[in-house]
Amino acid sequence: MTAAPLVHIGHFRMDFGGTTVVRDLSFDIFRGETFGFLGSNGSGKTTTIRALLGIYQPTGGVLHIDGRPFSPEHGATLGYLPEERGLYKKEPVIDVMTYFGRLKGLSKAKALAWSLDYLERVDLGGRGRLRLDKLSSGEQQKVQLGVTIMNDPELLILDEPTKGFDPVNRKLLMGIIEDQKLAGATVLMVTHQMEEVERLCDRVVLLKDGEAEAYGTVEAVQDQYGGRVIRLTCSGEISALPHYQVSRKDAEHVELAVTDQVDDATILRELMAAGVVVSSFYAARVSLDDIFVRVYGAENVGV
Amino acid sequence: MVRHNLGTVVSFEVTRTLKKKQFWLTTLLVPVAIGIVIALIVISNTTTGSRVDSQADATFAFTYSDASGLVDPAVATSFGGTRVTDDQQAIADVKAGRSAAHFAYPADPATQTTRAYGKDLDISGNGRYASVATAVLVTSAKAAIDNPTLTSLANGAFSVDAVTYKDGQATGGFLGAVAPLLFLLIFYVVIVMLGNQMLTSTLEEKENRVTEMILTTLNPTTLITGKIISLFIIGIVQMTVFVLPVLVGYLFFRSALSLPDIDFSQLVINPGQMIVGALLLIGGFTLFLGTLVAAGAIMPTAKEAGQVFGVMMTLIFVPLYAASLVVSDPHSFLVGLFTYFPYSAPVTALLRNGLGSLGPLEATIVIAELFIFGGIVLRIAVRLFRYGSVEYTKRIALRAVFARPAAERAPVR
Repeated sequence: MTAAPLVHIGHFRMDFGGTTVVRDLSFDIFRGETFGFLGSNGSGKTTTIRALLGIYQPTGGVLHIDGRPFSPEHGATLGYLPEERGLYKKEPVIDVMTYFGRLKGLSKAKALAWSLDYLERVDLGGRGRLRLDKLSSGEQQKVQLGVTIMNDPELLILDEPTKGFDPVNRKLLMGIIEDQKLAGATVLMVTHQMEEVERLCDRVVLLKDGEAEAYGTVEAVQDQYGGRVIRLTCSGEISALPHYQVSRKDAEHVELAVTDQVDDATILRELMAAGVVVSSFYAARVSLDDIFVRVYGAENVGV
Repeated sequence: MVRHNLGTVVSFEVTRTLKKKQFWLTTLLVPVAIGIVIALIVISNTTTGSRVDSQADATFAFTYSDASGLVDPAVATSFGGTRVTDDQQAIADVKAGRSAAHFAYPADPATQTTRAYGKDLDISGNGRYASVATAVLVTSAKAAIDNPTLTSLANGAFSVDAVTYKDGQATGGFLGAVAPLLFLLIFYVVIVMLGNQMLTSTLEEKENRVTEMILTTLNPTTLITGKIISLFIIGIVQMTVFVLPVLVGYLFFRSALSLPDIDFSQLVINPGQMIVGALLLIGGFTLFLGTLVAAGAIMPTAKEAGQVFGVMMTLIFVPLYAASLVVSDPHSFLVGLFTYFPYSAPVTALLRNGLGSLGPLEATIVIAELFIFGGIVLRIAVRLFRYGSVEYTKRIALRAVFARPAAERAPVR
């Protein structure tokens, strides 16, 4: 990760009238990595992306893609799936896809061929001549994703990509994103689905109060916010010990938050010595979901 | 990339419009309506003409009295007339059905009314009495002149060719105004037919939430320029479709439509007027369409933007209320006001250019004004589109856009 970053955001500040939305945000995204951009609703994630893409002019700071501010020439190597989605609803699907393909620098024949292949892949084969508004909302989202990736982008920016998808289509979509990642694309992803972040992202930044609350690899951030947890299936009363505290508990399952650097074997021995019958013992890092709740407060649970 | 994308935008916009059934339904409605009107006129004129001819040629027994002495008895007899002196008795005979008709020619038919009395033959048939009474008198008058040339002159069958001069050069008169006034016609057709399309065209990106996708692949100036060029091309297609039936009517049904036989070789094309007309058209087109784009960027829906379109339409029709003043007193204060106010300037200046009352200095000022204002409005429109069109559901406040630096215009997201 010592090479020049593909995306560089340095001391970005954004004021709207008298309100500061982003105070001082800095992070880098390197080629080939998948980066999670996390934060509560209204924290400034979409604003940051719009400023990065030249839609908004920043109040201060530097926002660069491949070493320079965004210009439409970047469009040929960029795929952007905005939070506010839409295409030309009254036009045939295939015409819209071909149009965007051409805007991204593909020839008409290549854009058409790619679009037909993609529609087959996402179970929309034979529906290319239909008007977009004749498709369901989920199907329209698939078309929009196709438009986003049709130029095999080097940089893929996805603002809440799974919003509006049912579980089946969400799986399909995540598969497509993983394919892009495997093909070498750099992915910047805004999402509230923390399990997706844990599964896909190499590094994350958590935006809070206009600044980076945490920034680094997923593991590093997990370590920063509570380190490890131990999940048990057990019987018997667990009393508080200096090395851990009970963070969750139901009839059979208990989650212990480990509070210092003691190893797992020591904890297991202490539990058994206290008369707890342990039938399963699983050590893991604290989930990003828990970290999110801890950082942004209970009012953001479920966002 | 920009040039490539401009072509792509133009191609997409033109193709999708021309593929729409609704476009062709609306466009073809005009020539179909014109065609129906032409057909009705042709049928009506043919029927009326033959009926008038047959009525004029009709012979039936009638009586007549002639206080003027202008009716030639031989002519009257050839039409079936018999001269009488007692009008009251002749009218009584008509009333009683003993006579078909009686015509009473007064002492001075030029100033007094000739009376025709006849048996009722329904509305369409009753016309023959006036026709025959007129034919008898006209034929008698022509016979009295007894000179074909004088007869033609009396019928007004002669032409006068007026030649006028301005600065020592012959001017074209009415035929000189035809060509430059075509620019005015084009301006009206394009704005009226396509203005609303321009307004909703940019609104479409906003209403469909396409703006962000577009702005990351395309410069907004390229998008808007592409849309304006597309509309111009579509306008030319529409005008061609509109003109076609008129052309067919003129070429093949001219006499049936009673259209004048225009000698196009007599049309005067003044290069200076044509250049000024073309520049006024392009400048006015840019200003009006730029304003419509700006309105589309500000307003959240087509319904709200429609109010702006209404105002724009009023502005291009207002100068027509002063058209008589433009013709009779082109240098009056009001005409001057309309000439220089940007939104009434295109129509007024194009009209004055066609009529030859727009001087070179005035033309230069108006053209410069239209291009400068058009350029400014287009820049503002692009800026409003960039910032306003991501305000998907809200109406953007102009004060908010222009009162603060660019960085402070965006909404909190």
